[in-house]
Amino acid sequence: MTTSEAAPLPRENMGQPLARVDGRLKVMGRANYPADIPVNNLAHGLLVASGIARGRVQELHLDEAHAVKGVLDILTHDHIRGELEPPEFGTSGSSSIGPLHDDKIWHDGQIIALVIAETIEAAREAAMRITVDYKEEQPSTSFGSEGTETVAASEVSQQFKEDVKAGDFETAFDAAEVKIDVEYGMPTHHHNPIEMFSTTAYWQGEELTVHEPTQNVYGWKVEIARQLKIEPDRVRVISPYIGGAFGSKGPITPRTAIVALAARRLGRPVRCVVTRSQSFTTQTYRAETRHHIQMAAARDGRITAFKHEGWEVTSRPDPYVVGGTKTTGRLYNYGSVLTKVFLVKTDRPTPSYMRAPAETPYIYALENAMDEMAVALNMDPVEFRRVNDASQDAIEGKPFSSRSLMQCYDEAASEFGWSKRNPQVGSMRDGDWLIGMGCATAVHPANVAPCAVRITLRDDGHARVQTASHEIGTGVQTVAAQLAAEHLGLHPSMVQVEMGDTRLPPAPVTGGSSTTASVCSAIIKACEEIREKLARAAVTANDGPLAGRDPASVLLKNGRLVAADASQALKDVFKHVGSGVIEQYTEFRPDGASPDAVSNLYQGKMEMVSGEKGDMIKYAFGAEFVEVRIHRRTREIRVPRVVGAFSGGRIMNTRTARSQLMGGMIWGISSALHEATEFDWRSARVVNRDLQDYLVPVNADIQDVKVILVPETDTHVNLAGVKGLGELGNVGTAAAIASAVHHATGKRIRELPIRIDNLLG
Amino acid sequence: MTGTASPAIHISGAAALQDETRSPVPSTQREGLTVSMLINGQPYQFNIDSRTSLLDLLRDHAGLTGTKKGCDHGQCGACTVLTDGRRTLSCMSFAAMNDGWEITTIEGLSSADGDLHPMQQAFIDHDAFQCGYCTPGQILSAVACVEEGHAESDADIREYMSGNLCRCAAYPNIVAAVKQARNEMEKA
Repeated sequence: MTTSEAAPLPRENMGQPLARVDGRLKVMGRANYPADIPVNNLAHGLLVASGIARGRVQELHLDEAHAVKGVLDILTHDHIRGELEPPEFGTSGSSSIGPLHDDKIWHDGQIIALVIAETIEAAREAAMRITVDYKEEQPSTSFGSEGTETVAASEVSQQFKEDVKAGDFETAFDAAEVKIDVEYGMPTHHHNPIEMFSTTAYWQGEELTVHEPTQNVYGWKVEIARQLKIEPDRVRVISPYIGGAFGSKGPITPRTAIVALAARRLGRPVRCVVTRSQSFTTQTYRAETRHHIQMAAARDGRITAFKHEGWEVTSRPDPYVVGGTKTTGRLYNYGSVLTKVFLVKTDRPTPSYMRAPAETPYIYALENAMDEMAVALNMDPVEFRRVNDASQDAIEGKPFSSRSLMQCYDEAASEFGWSKRNPQVGSMRDGDWLIGMGCATAVHPANVAPCAVRITLRDDGHARVQTASHEIGTGVQTVAAQLAAEHLGLHPSMVQVEMGDTRLPPAPVTGGSSTTASVCSAIIKACEEIREKLARAAVTANDGPLAGRDPASVLLKNGRLVAADASQALKDVFKHVGSGVIEQYTEFRPDGASPDAVSNLYQGKMEMVSGEKGDMIKYAFGAEFVEVRIHRRTREIRVPRVVGAFSGGRIMNTRTARSQLMGGMIWGISSALHEATEFDWRSARVVNRDLQDYLVPVNADIQDVKVILVPETDTHVNLAGVKGLGELGNVGTAAAIASAVHHATGKRIRELPIRIDNLLG
Repeated sequence: MTGTASPAIHISGAAALQDETRSPVPSTQREGLTVSMLINGQPYQFNIDSRTSLLDLLRDHAGLTGTKKGCDHGQCGACTVLTDGRRTLSCMSFAAMNDGWEITTIEGLSSADGDLHPMQQAFIDHDAFQCGYCTPGQILSAVACVEEGHAESDADIREYMSGNLCRCAAYPNIVAAVKQARNEMEKA
């Protein structure tokens, strides 16, 4: 392998494009995802899901199902009552809705039974033979449905206590020369990782082991124990590889404890794989949002007033909120800001986080409005952003720890060829294809959380990094090996990484783009402690080449402890230490975290220090440019080119960083043109509950996607200097596409996804 | 693995599991149906429920879990295997329909001494996956794509690789990997 686009040359403050350490296992089919783990004497579980969205189960007819040969058990609400504590809505739990805890139906496709059989085939047959009598009530589907309840998010949410504002919006808006007043909408999205959701549970005496793909092994361990009324120490959760997550495997859903209970009743291991269609109703999702933006500007392009109101769908009992106004309200140098977020309660499952939960919908709305305002001002959209670029946030006046937004715009614009764009709507064509070009800002807070790590260094130069973080495909195992190798002076192949198991030191939920920052900060701290131990032993020794040196001046390099003019092999340094191995257990607590943040981590309670906390605003930025082509007659929409430039502080590995951002931008294309969960509004039921009808891009939908990594150094964000990239890439893309569609056609499509029928006529 | 009555919980390695299932366990369900096939060059015989899909047979009866279940509906491509050299969605094929056939799964693509197939190496070189879950299906589909002669241009590769969804969206890297492997496969 010489050079390839997959392995960008590192620029300043960027790590090498080391190939993934788990690559070989993955291409050989030997990476064991949780449902791959071989278990003897396994019984197979299959969920039965509700056919109505609101009401009660009057009677479940189970006789025919029980008669199917091989059926072992069928759990219904008659069996759970009293056996399990109800689920809780919070940081680990997806919802307070406890299916099977009583006969109530809160939403479409709620779990109403679990069939256990000797084989998958028998379980499937039995599940199909169950019939249900319901007492049905009229459900409310979404915005505008009868029977919904609208509440202010700040009045009901523990996570969203305040609507941000600054200055006098009303006066500034009334006085302004140029104004827009617009509404946008983003539909429901389902994560649809390709790995199906599953739980495998077995008991050895009083000890429970759960194999399930999760982004939060510690949080789940504690929540599983609580629901089963046992001590957390009796629960082990294992999830070494995760087949895509995107937020869907962050919060625990009620199925896990139910399957564990089934395994205990049966005295046998049980594996339950959720069908693809059931995953649309028993798992979490991104709720649809509505946005109302009012923006005013002076003729010179300075924004004087910005108002952003958001409406988000949630379930009846749980006030889940994403509240992206906290980001949109801080992004530009507005003269005044007014925001308000509302929740609309419906008969739907509780939504939860999905890749850039707050920013994807809210920045989509803001960046569309920015393009509309640029058009109203007759300004170039890039220059409009430059005029309103900020050195401090508009709400509290805090400085940004670093902000390379306009560098991102300039590098991406240059690569894209933005200067060749004719701003006139409908002016660019290639044969039968109308060409449109648009751009938008990407932004995501740089979050960080407490993390513990154990690093074991042997005198033969082998090291092991252990932490209960999660490899969801981001490359965190690769980055961990690479970073530990760099700091311990070893080749990365000498470092083994173990993650995804509650027997390892605790790590935070893999979410909020915080994993690389948190894990890497803990690794750096642990490696420094190891270096210090070795250095102290070497310099205080009676003899040896490093005796008497300043311990701070010796570093680990190429398997040796090295001073300016002398060095000693690791093996010999270890002789001074008097052991063959150093096992370093280190806890990292980020600045701004509470004193209890680390001890809470062991109890599954995670405290994330958000990018807005502290005396600086810590955000990662990017700029995305897209070209769309729309066929003159058929109105087919293609995206031949996307260019994104991103600054995220220290880039640990240019290869994995590029892939993550590229995948993010394709997610952005998907949210603009493909994805939407559709409902039957009479019944509040999901209509397109499979991968044939829930559209995601296929290979042929995607053409040229270019990622530019813009150098940036930020020593304020965290010890590792990392801002996180997992969610940044798909923020802004949809707005850039909507702007490009407007440029090509003159049509401003404000409701996603943009489809052919929006462009006809 | 069905029908074993050991009450003890035991997690066995993949090798042990294969040995155990080489002599198939009789099914306790329905009339047992006996099927034979050559999987990755090894003869197997199974006594199965007639409704068993090829995918479930590979994963649960042969212990070859490299083949993934992504939808069980023939919509995602994660379960792609080669049957007599052709790409097949194993979730949409009854095991019984493959009686006497030769099946290649991801486990059979690299040589016994661990040398990777050029397609596997190309997927590593071009970072053609993130989570890795769709990867076995992508790789087998890509091998067939080259062998079918459908990898001559980028547009062809995109089109003929569109039956395999990648939610991490490594598509441009997959195209680059298929091109590299195509050149090496054509040389060989």
